[in-house]
This record gives sequence, C-alpha cells and structure tokens, in this order.
Amino acid sequence: MSLPAREPPPSADASLTLRFDDSDRDVLAKAFRTPGDGPSAWRLNREAHRISLVDGFDRLLAWPVLQGVTRYDHQERTALRVLRDMRGRAILADEVGLGKTIEAGLVLKELAVRGLVRRALVLTPAALTDQWREEMETKFSLPFAVLRSVRDWDRRPFLIASMDTAKREPHRGAAQARPWDLIVVDEAHRLKNRLSLNWRFVAGLSKKYMLLLTATPVQNDMEELFNLVTLLKPGQLHTYDRFLERYVASPDRRVPMRVPELRGLLRDVMVRNRRGIAFTLPPRRVHSLPVRLGPAERRLYDDVTEFARDAYWSASGRLPWTARLTLIVLQREIGSSTFAVAETLRRLSQSPLFRMDERERLEELRHEAVAISTNVKAARLREFLRSADEKVLVFTQYLRTLQYLQGVLETDGYRVAAYHGGLSLAAKDAAVRTFREDRDIFLSTEAGGEGRNLQFARTVVNYDLPWNPLRIEQRIGRVHRLGQDREVHVVNVWAEDTVEANLMELLDRKIHMFELVVGELDLILGNLDERRSFEDLMMDIWVLREAEERRSALRRLGDSLVRARAQYEQVKETNETVLGDSGEAVSA
Amino acid sequence: MSDAPPLRSFVIEALTDLGAAVSDGDPLVWVQAPESVQRDLEVPARFALSFDPERSRAFEAELVAPGSYFLERLVSVVTRRGRWDVSQCTVSGTEWISEALRESGLDPETGVSSRVDGIEDELLLLFAFRVTLVSDEKREGFHLVAVSLVDGSTWPVDPDRTDRELMPHPSPEIRPDLETAYRLATEFLHLATGVEVEQFRTRSLGLLEEEVRRIFGYFDRTIDGLRESDPGGSQDLLRAVMAERDRRLTEAVERFDPKASASLCSIRGILVPTARLEIEFPDGARTESRLDAWSRRLRSLACGMCGGTEGPWRPSRDGLRCARCAATQAESARPRGHPRSDTPRRGTRAGEASARASRGSRARSRGASSGRPRP
Repeated sequence: MSLPAREPPPSADASLTLRFDDSDRDVLAKAFRTPGDGPSAWRLNREAHRISLVDGFDRLLAWPVLQGVTRYDHQERTALRVLRDMRGRAILADEVGLGKTIEAGLVLKELAVRGLVRRALVLTPAALTDQWREEMETKFSLPFAVLRSVRDWDRRPFLIASMDTAKREPHRGAAQARPWDLIVVDEAHRLKNRLSLNWRFVAGLSKKYMLLLTATPVQNDMEELFNLVTLLKPGQLHTYDRFLERYVASPDRRVPMRVPELRGLLRDVMVRNRRGIAFTLPPRRVHSLPVRLGPAERRLYDDVTEFARDAYWSASGRLPWTARLTLIVLQREIGSSTFAVAETLRRLSQSPLFRMDERERLEELRHEAVAISTNVKAARLREFLRSADEKVLVFTQYLRTLQYLQGVLETDGYRVAAYHGGLSLAAKDAAVRTFREDRDIFLSTEAGGEGRNLQFARTVVNYDLPWNPLRIEQRIGRVHRLGQDREVHVVNVWAEDTVEANLMELLDRKIHMFELVVGELDLILGNLDERRSFEDLMMDIWVLREAEERRSALRRLGDSLVRARAQYEQVKETNETVLGDSGEAVSA
Repeated sequence: MSDAPPLRSFVIEALTDLGAAVSDGDPLVWVQAPESVQRDLEVPARFALSFDPERSRAFEAELVAPGSYFLERLVSVVTRRGRWDVSQCTVSGTEWISEALRESGLDPETGVSSRVDGIEDELLLLFAFRVTLVSDEKREGFHLVAVSLVDGSTWPVDPDRTDRELMPHPSPEIRPDLETAYRLATEFLHLATGVEVEQFRTRSLGLLEEEVRRIFGYFDRTIDGLRESDPGGSQDLLRAVMAERDRRLTEAVERFDPKASASLCSIRGILVPTARLEIEFPDGARTESRLDAWSRRLRSLACGMCGGTEGPWRPSRDGLRCARCAATQAESARPRGHPRSDTPRRGTRAGEASARASRGSRARSRGASSGRPRP
C-alpha cells in the first residue's frame, strides 16, 4: 500500500465497521441441516473461544510456557513496557548480562501467542545464529530455523540469519520483498552508520515491530546513537543537523550536551536496565592447573596434530569445509582425552573424505589411542578434588570423556550426577535435583542446561576447554549468576604445548576473560575485525608448520584481542557518559 | 482472558467429550486417547497433562497453559465442533412468570399489574460471536446475542450463563430462518460494540497521525536541509530520501490502520415456553410484552430516560426507568444547597424530550456509521 504525500491516513474520516467473516456463511448453511455434536460440544466451543481471547497487553501470557527461564522482575517490566508503551518498537540496551535476549524472546513470544507475529526475522552476527536458534527453541518453543538457502525466505516464517549473509544478494532482495511482523537485530551497534549496507538493509525491511539489542548504542560518537534511534523512529531525535546542534558538543562528537533532555527523548524508545547492587555478582577467581602429558599421551597428541597439519595442507590446497571441520573436531577431542578421540579416529579411518594412506594412518592412531589407559589431566583433577570440600561442577565437551571420568571419580568414592545431551528432560532435571541434594560432583557435557539453577555450587572445573570462548562463558554462567552470593572459582585443567595452552594464553593472560562479566566477552570478540569464528582462527594458527610462525600468529591474535578489549572498555565508558542513569537500576 | 473459564476443567471436559478416558490425579491428568484424538491432537494413545511447567518437565507431561502447543491444538479441534445445537428449556407450571416479573421489579408491590394472555413455545436463536480489533495491538471479545424471530427482538446474553435448565432436543424438524436471525444478530452486534470499536479506531488513528506527523516533520526538514546546503545537489539523493519517507509512511499505515472483524462461532436454538403479557404501569400506561422461561427477559420495554432495554425496572408515576437511571434520578433530586439550574430536569416533559433528542442523535449517528438501520 503506498501513501501519497500529504494525504490524510486512510480511514481517518470514515467510520470503522465490523467486518463479518466469510466463514459465517458455512456455519449458516450447515446449521440444523445435519445432526450437531451435542450440547456439551456447543458449550465447549464457547469456552474454547473464551479461553483463547486476547485483550491487549494487560499481562504476560507466555511465562508459564517458557522452559528453563528464571523469572526476573526487570525482564517482565521491560517486556510489558516494550509491548504497551513502545508498541513493539524499542532499543533494548540493558547493561551486559541482564538478559536482553530473554527480553526480546519474551516480547516475541507474547506477540506470537496473541497472533500478532506470524513472521519474524532475527539478524545476528554469524557466530550467534545457532545460539539464538537454540534459545528460541528450547526456552520459548519458537520454531526458528537458521537461514541456509535463499528458499528459506519463503519456507520459514521464523528465520534467523547472519546480518552479513542477509544483507547481500540474493538474500537482500528476498528479505526486503516480504513483510515481517517483527525484526530483531542483535548486536545492533553494528547499525551505527547510516550509509552502511547493514543500516540500509534493515531500514529497507518492511516491518511492524522491531527490537534493536545492544548494550553499547554509542560506539565512537554521538552520530551512531542518532542513526540507531532514527532507524527505529525517525524524527525522535530531530533531524541530523538539529541533533548535532542541540545534543553534541562541537567539535568533539563523542561528547554529549543537554544530557538530561537527550535521555528524556531516549526513554521513549530505549530500555536500559543497569546492574543495581543486588545484581552485582561476586568476583571470580581463576585457578590454572597445567599438566605435562605423559609420554604415550604426548606421542598420540603430536601424531594427531601431525596428521591434522598434513591433511590440512594436502596437495590439493586447503581442505573442503566438511573435512576441515572434521580435523577441528579431531584436534579438539585429543585436547579433551584419548578416550574422546578414539571413536572418531575409527570413524574417520573408514571415511571417504580421506585418501587410503590417510585412512591407514588414522587406523594406526586409533590403535595408539585405545592402548592408552592413563590420563594425566584426570590425575590432576582428582588431586584438586581431594582438596575441595564443596560441590563441584566438572565440564567436558565429550561424552566418552565424561564416561571415563565418571568411572574414575565413582571409584574414588565420589557421588556423581552425570548430565549430558542423551538424557531425557526428566533425567536432566533429576540429575540437577540429586546434585543439589546429595551428590558431590555435577559432571556435564553441556554448557547449556541453561536456566537450571546451579548457583548453590560455586566451583566450575573446565576439564577441557571449548575453543569457542562463549561456550566457556556459558559454563561459568551456570554458577556465576543472580543468586550467587559467594566468590566463584573457575578451575582450568590444560596440557602444555597444546591448542588449549594457546587458548589459555589468549583468553586468560591477554584479556583476563575469566574475570569478565557475563556478556562482555561477546562484545570484545565482536570488536575483533574477523569474519571467521574463533575456532577457525585457533585451528589456522595451530596447523601452521613452523613453531615460529605459530608463535607470531598467536601474538598477532593476542594483540588484536587486547585492542578489542581496550576498545570495549572505551565504549563502555562512553555509553555510561551518554546514557548513564537513564535506565533503571535492577534489584533482585 | 480474565473472564475465561478455569482451564483444567475445560481441558478435562473437552477431552472427555472427544471420547478420551481422563483420570484427574494430582498433579497430573492422565489421558487414554482414541485414535481420532491421537490424530487430531498429535498425541500418543496414553499421555499425561500438567498445568504446571516445572511438573510438566519433571514428568514429561504435555504442558497446558496459554500459548502451549497442546492447548492451541485442543482449542482448534474444539472450536471446529459444536457449531450448532438445539436445546429445550423445560419448566413446569407458570410460577416462573411471577418470579421473572418480581426479579425485573415489575410486580404488584411496585404498583405494576400484569395479565398472561397465553403461553406458547418459541424458538430463540443464540448467536456466539468473536469480535477482534487489530491495529498494532489486538483486543478481542466474546458476545452472545439472543434473537427472537417472533418479534424480531435481540438482546445480549451473559456468556457465563449455565446450561442447567436446558435439555437436549432432537432437531430434525427445526428449520429456522437463519438468514433473518443472523442479520438481526449482526445488527445488534454492530450497536453493542459500536462504542468500543469507535474508541479503538480513534486511538489507533491518533497514534497513526502522530507517527505520520513525525515522519513528515523529519523527512521534510531533512530534504529542506539538503536543498539549502547544496541547491544544485544530487536529485538522486533527494529522491532516495523521499522514497524512504514514503516507505516509512506505508509502514506506519500498515501498522496502525485499525481493523474490526467478527466471526460467528456457533448457533444454538432454544425451544422455550414464552408468555404473552399485558402489563399496566402505575402511571396507567399499558404495554404488551413477551417473556420467555429461559432468558426471563421482558421484551418491548424501554427506559423512559435513556431508552435502554436492560432491566431491572423501576416503575414510577413519571414512567418506566431502568435501575441505573432511577438511581441517577434519585441522586440528582437530593438538595445540594446551590441555585437551581436552568437545565430542564429529567423526569419533566422538557427533560425527557431533551434526553430523547440527544439519544436519537447518538443512535442515528451510530446507525449511519455502521451502515445499518437500528433495529
């Protein structure tokens, strides 16, 4: 529908008339001509209609159907404010760790339950698409799919796409050709530039409701704030020239003027919850438990690494994506335990992805792996556990490592609650319950289990380290969350001269990741000028043949991370200056 | 959803009505489902329901709550059934007539005398409508409208009203004039929802107007600024800004354009004894009315002040008043200790004429707005 300029909006001077449904005719045509379903069915029909009536946004209807979402007042208030006062268009700018994703999910679910959203698009950085899909499905029962092909724009009414993919043809045209009930943009500070492809792509989407999620609406200068708000509500901050004149101290565009007035305008379009005292989490303490692998484990680790390097740089150049992924898995597994890697070696030794000579090497490596029964990291873990007098969460990425550890720890006399993806929901609940009641150790493969309250414990052991730092962050987040009132201990077990040692160098020594607040890591990694995932970066360094090459690549990545963290600190400060106490301090 | 019936009893009754064997234990409800239910609700032969999310997880039971998949499917199945029904209201004797008159405030104690001219069976038709108002929000209501094809009268029925007095009635011989009854019901619904629909429209258009003004303000000033800063500048840029403005306006219109719709959920025929009455009021006026044993509503009566047709009634020497107008009248008759107003007082001829005129104007305007004559 196009609206010529200056004409009054349609139906402004006409009355609104009840339009009766065409299907009424069917009821009239059939009624009393065939036997009915009986008086009970008539009464139940009436009650079914009444039960499903929707009346505005008086309260949140969706809470009872959410799975594993802890109910926080500030999130409920935010969702209602967005739905009622902001009419479904808002910038969610909570400080990190206060649950912007949950707030967006709540708004989305409420609109969906009321039949107001039937098509929704979530735009995120590429690294977060699967995380979003998982959260929307497990917590909100919303059937989102991640964009895989251009046909998905037609087939999937609830779609998650990486911004980088969606903004380019053929996706761009397909996305903009369809009306969307709701658009969610995560990490919306990437819409800071009005001339960028990102900004123009989102502006060109036809949408009824829109949520922009960012903890840092201002990245470098005030213009970015203007661009973000204008995308949502043009005119809210006046025109660009007027905005600069009134709210920006010339010539330094980073410094705001008339801050109280500006914050007043922002309150109409932005919700910013801040950590109150009750929301300030206790500190984290990091304990590093490095080990030197035993001779057999070392040999296997080196042999697997050598195989990975050879295969990675095979004669045909870099491997295709699937084979590269396989090698990453292999290298990650050997970083976990020999038990984890053995089965994959067996599988790969029969895989057509590899040449016959490679398959023979893989079979030899498998023999090598199954012959190893010792595990130095496990010994170090047991030593640590002997000194612990509290409940402990032990995380590993792999089921076979979990099974091995469970056997070892139970032999030592520990009472272990095992938690992994193969368990039913009820069994997972039971594992959490028994851990709370009478178990010493919660042994888990899943960083997830999100929403399950484990903060009665406060020690997290990373028996192995996921290469995706956000996964590590999720593990720690199981205990370092609201409700935790004691210092949290993060124990990292890792072997020297491995990929995991490199990870520790980067994440612990360079950016002190283990001491960050939940959510800050996303923003730091977001500042890395990298389109590849962190896992890919780690593998790319690890497969370099020369040690010196590896060292210098690691140094470069470390320097980038340090710069990214410094940039984040700067941005945090800027946002505090501009937005400051414009939001509400959250209390428990 | 605040007036909705309790969820648990609804679900149990609905499953039972669909042929499932239901056992209500605490905390779970166990269901043995026949094939048709398994197919329609996508459930196994035996399954458990829980109304509590935590328990639903712990026991792997289907969760029943607003927005849950199971409840959505159940509502969808149940609303496809029970779309018509014929019941019979059976009463013995004629006691109900005097009871209904007393409940309506029209008995000898209030100076009203009445005579029963006859009792006959009448078919009332009950139309259930779901009314939906949508812009960027959604508001829904459920309305039951009773229609008498004998005298063409229509009135609202409380959706909470129980079915206790009703018995199933074999329906093959019932062939009412549904077209006429439906027309009367929809006309009534237009009037009954008119104020709410108008308020919704006004609010939505107010928001749209505000949005449109802001969009025009922003883009026009931006365009002016571009022209001033660079009078011979790129026309392409100006065109792009204008295109963006038009796109935003279109989006705003689609967002706030109010829509009001109604759908017929079901129809019920109720065969009911109906008395023809002649009623004489204290002021000597007489009127004929009909009173059925189910709704017990006296038809053809209207308040002398507001024109409303809802009892209970307060007859007086000034004429018939509904309870609300009578209370207002009593309130305004109290001495206030201030000079008398020039406004004609209600209850006097001048006052009634004035009230009628204003009612008529309102009614005409509503009738015109709906495009249908007032019944």
